[in-house]
Amino acid sequence: MKTISLYTNNGSWLTQLHPFTKLWYLAAAICIPLLTGSVWGFAVMIIISFVLLKSGRLIKKALPLIAFSFTIILTIFLIHGLVNQQNKNVLFAIGFLRFYKEGLLYAAHIGLNILNMLLSFAIVVLSTRPSELVDELERKGFSPRFGYIINSVFQIIPQMMGTMHTITDAQRSRGMETEGSLLVRIKAFLPLISPVVMSALTATRERAIALEVRGFGAKGLKTWMHPHQKTKADRIFSWLCIAGLILALAGRIYLWLS
Amino acid sequence: MKKIFKTQLNAAVIVLIPACIGINYLGKLFASFLKLPLWLDSIGTCIGAALGGPIIGAICGAANNLIYGFTTGDNITLIYALTSLFIGLVVGIMARIGFMKTFPKALLTACAGGLAAVVVSTPLNILFWGGTTGNVWGDAVFAATQAAKLPLALGSLLDEIVVDVPDKLITLIIVFLILKGLPKKLTTLYDTEETIESLD
Repeated sequence: MKTISLYTNNGSWLTQLHPFTKLWYLAAAICIPLLTGSVWGFAVMIIISFVLLKSGRLIKKALPLIAFSFTIILTIFLIHGLVNQQNKNVLFAIGFLRFYKEGLLYAAHIGLNILNMLLSFAIVVLSTRPSELVDELERKGFSPRFGYIINSVFQIIPQMMGTMHTITDAQRSRGMETEGSLLVRIKAFLPLISPVVMSALTATRERAIALEVRGFGAKGLKTWMHPHQKTKADRIFSWLCIAGLILALAGRIYLWLS
Repeated sequence: MKKIFKTQLNAAVIVLIPACIGINYLGKLFASFLKLPLWLDSIGTCIGAALGGPIIGAICGAANNLIYGFTTGDNITLIYALTSLFIGLVVGIMARIGFMKTFPKALLTACAGGLAAVVVSTPLNILFWGGTTGNVWGDAVFAATQAAKLPLALGSLLDEIVVDVPDKLITLIIVFLILKGLPKKLTTLYDTEETIESLD
């Protein structure tokens, strides 16, 4: 069955790390450049993320994610380079389009921030099994009800995708048009989505009964199938991230005071 | 006041939330499949809010963006968890005070939901994207206001209004039609006003 999660177990060292260690890296990678506030902070974190992705053999899978955000970054560069309010000095011109230095700098800041967030998230997302993350959160006292919600999303969506394909085919075979003018496409939306939604909602009733029969609401301690123990590498990695965060915070406070 | 926020957390409601998150995903998928210039990714949130109340709506919205952000790598949606949360909350409150019962009232709910989305999203857009939304029509409006030297915040606000209010109108119309078609044996599961009568 097709899943929506991008995780695959390729056996690299990143997939072996404890989920929390990767969350510490995520926090560090996002907060450190924002605390230092310079373009160089972003650049350094982006390079580190690239190196980590490379060593985890995940770079190929991260590229589509970057390509996806590329159009958004491009729009930001176009709009701010051309029509930002602070624009004064022309940097270069293509035909009649004049690009200004101030707007481009502002766009570079935002673009780098997006790229940095994207890459650090890619590390967590591509190397962590969602259910493992949920399990570890539950071991730390996260509500098992919410844990169930998260895990079941991953089971429900492939099911619904299957229903969606069936219904799209069925409606098409009845002669419904899914291509053409905007009005035609808007009209196609309701007959496509309502059967899927209806069947999903009516299925919840049966699922609720099935869960209750199996003691979903039972109180008492639960046990785990695969507890993930932290290794030495985990400890070193997370302390490095925490140390980086503290250093950046200290630097920021020092700058404020001086 | 207490009744508006009354929430049950039984198995039926817990099961509703993942279904709603799945519906959100499908809405987005169909919208891109049909190449519609709208998002339509809050249908599930609105259904959850209308059935389970504002708290469930808020949980649906926030969990939706958090789950997709952390698993599909689409961390742009992560920032908008706050927006989804407020859409769920507002639609839930409107539904509980009876604004989902007739079609004109549902349209008012849609406007309220759309405005909630605008108010929460605009600061986020300015903070993270410098004011753009990533939607073609909205960004065209934004570029026009910036060229006319209007303030950044106003341009971003207009950008959001142009995209979000029509989006929520269509979303709520779909939700209204779907809710009208649901069997009663399902909707009674989520009814908080029902009382059980005993025969003896």
